[in-house]
Amino acid sequence: MTTSPSTEVQNPSATPSDGTILLVEDSPDDVLLTQRALRKNNICNRVIVATDGEQAIDYLLPREGKPLVPELILLDINLPKVNGLDVLRAIRSNESTRYVSVVVLTTSNEERDIVSSYNLGANSYVRKPVEFDNFLEAVRILGLYWLLVNQNAAIIRAPVE
Amino acid sequence: MSSSAPSSATKTSDPEPGSAAEPSWEEPDRPTGAAPTSGWTTLGVATGSAVAVGVLAVALGAATGWATLAGLVAVVADSLILLCYGGAAVRAGRAQLRERAAAELDAQASHNQLQKLIDNTAAVIYMKRIDNGRYLLVNREWERLFKVDRAQVIDMTDQGVFPKELADQLRENDLWTAEQGRTVQFEETAQTDRGPRTYVSVKFPVFDSSAEPYAVCGISTDITEWKQAEAEARRLAAELETRVRNRTAELEASNKELDAFAYTVSHDLRAPLRSLHGFSQALQDDYTDRLDDTGREYLRRLQANVARMGHMIDDLLNLSRSTRVELGRRDVDLGAIADEIAEELAAVDPQRQVTVVVREGLHAHADPQLLRLLLQNLIGNAWKFTGRNTEPVVEVGRCERDDQTFFVVRDNGAGFDMRYADKLFTAFQRLHPAAEFEGTGIGLAIVARIVHRHGGRVFAEAAPDQGASFYFSLEGHMTEQPAQVAQPALVA
Repeated sequence: MTTSPSTEVQNPSATPSDGTILLVEDSPDDVLLTQRALRKNNICNRVIVATDGEQAIDYLLPREGKPLVPELILLDINLPKVNGLDVLRAIRSNESTRYVSVVVLTTSNEERDIVSSYNLGANSYVRKPVEFDNFLEAVRILGLYWLLVNQNAAIIRAPVE
Repeated sequence: MSSSAPSSATKTSDPEPGSAAEPSWEEPDRPTGAAPTSGWTTLGVATGSAVAVGVLAVALGAATGWATLAGLVAVVADSLILLCYGGAAVRAGRAQLRERAAAELDAQASHNQLQKLIDNTAAVIYMKRIDNGRYLLVNREWERLFKVDRAQVIDMTDQGVFPKELADQLRENDLWTAEQGRTVQFEETAQTDRGPRTYVSVKFPVFDSSAEPYAVCGISTDITEWKQAEAEARRLAAELETRVRNRTAELEASNKELDAFAYTVSHDLRAPLRSLHGFSQALQDDYTDRLDDTGREYLRRLQANVARMGHMIDDLLNLSRSTRVELGRRDVDLGAIADEIAEELAAVDPQRQVTVVVREGLHAHADPQLLRLLLQNLIGNAWKFTGRNTEPVVEVGRCERDDQTFFVVRDNGAGFDMRYADKLFTAFQRLHPAAEFEGTGIGLAIVARIVHRHGGRVFAEAAPDQGASFYFSLEGHMTEQPAQVAQPALVA
């Protein structure tokens, strides 16, 4: 296990839907633990980390260059600058990203966060458990379902209404 | 004088204008119409008779030739006729004079009676001409209040009695009443010795013989005290409302604070715990060969404590949530929820063999989410405290106590000493050492709060190693009560 999150500093441009996971998470600890949980579950997809909402929007909806189209977005809610719900709103209101699977992965189980997330079009809402064993299990199920079982619509380039 | 505008005047009664029910004051300038018609008839008859006698005498004189005698007879007869008429006329005239004097006396008496009546009332009564606004009549209360004698006021209008603005207003109201031709009610305020007084004035037009209104009569009742009481009541109501509003705002503010606190706890306190647990797990996984047994034991303790703190935070959040959430009552199948919870507990703790008996027909009108939280805590407790029992039984049922129906969660577990029962429903109070039965000490506080929010009662009966029974009701006089420490009503 590395001692710091392996965030990719450069803009991850021009990525086709190749199983990339975008992890939007501001806590370095949580980034490390999530990466560890993915690894422990043998999920070897490329993970790109955005440490705040603004960065996530820059990746997904860049002003210039090709946008990142991940297979799955793991989105925290409490984020600096632009919070997770606003990121979600931006994702869903943009043609190129509106069908990307978004799993809200957060600490809160407040009703208003859950309701807002689903209202804004989240595909799933998962509360991070305190016990790491439980977190491992949650990540395993998430990976299995959203990366393998689920048929993703993100590859549809020209979405039909 | 402020007075309600004529447009806001309210109709009270008197649907028939010009009816016979008018006050009996004689209108002025009315011709006295009792002409002596009978006198003229008599005079006519007398003259006719005299002329007839004369004509008869002339005819008789011409026929007989005794003209002189006939003329003499005619003169005597006519004189007699006129004499009789004169006597009758004088008698009739005398009788008429007597009658009129008597009628005048009667009218005066009746007028005096009415004047007495209106003089001896607390109301202010007055009558004014419509055409020029002059007073026709006032009562004693009017004289007393406005310091004008009734002899003087007859030639005066309101302009001579009241300030111009008030006088204009009164005149406007009078004219409005005349125009309406019916009884109208006004609220009028006049300056008196005792300061400004408010009156409710009932005004009605008085009609002459041709059904034309010629005067307006008014009866004004002092409602100042009543108005003051009304204003006072209104002021008190407004004050109360303000106070309630402030109090509600305060409550809302503190609720918001609580909400923000709960949100922060939910987010910020759990995050570091997760890191603690995750990295200690990483240590255990990746560095286990470099740790001896003691080191591994320390790590295990570290993780156990982190997990415990995680549960405490969750319970605290549940406690705050059970206070904050809006109560949404509906019909709930309490038994079904109990079954589900028992299944969940069995799934988490598969090595335990606990007999859970849920009685039939347990229904309640309650908030389903809060009721689930309540049962999770009570059944969870029963599950936990029967841990050392070889044949653990948990029963969920219903029973009657103090003429009231209670739901009951009963177990045959460790129980507790009733001496400590008062601490039972207070947060962070535990009756068992954590080493024996783990727990956060918040569960029963959540239970009590949920029961209280439903307006119900909760209490327990137990004895050490004899099991415990927790009774609760979900209906009561108070449907909503703010957070409060439950008072266990203890039944020995």
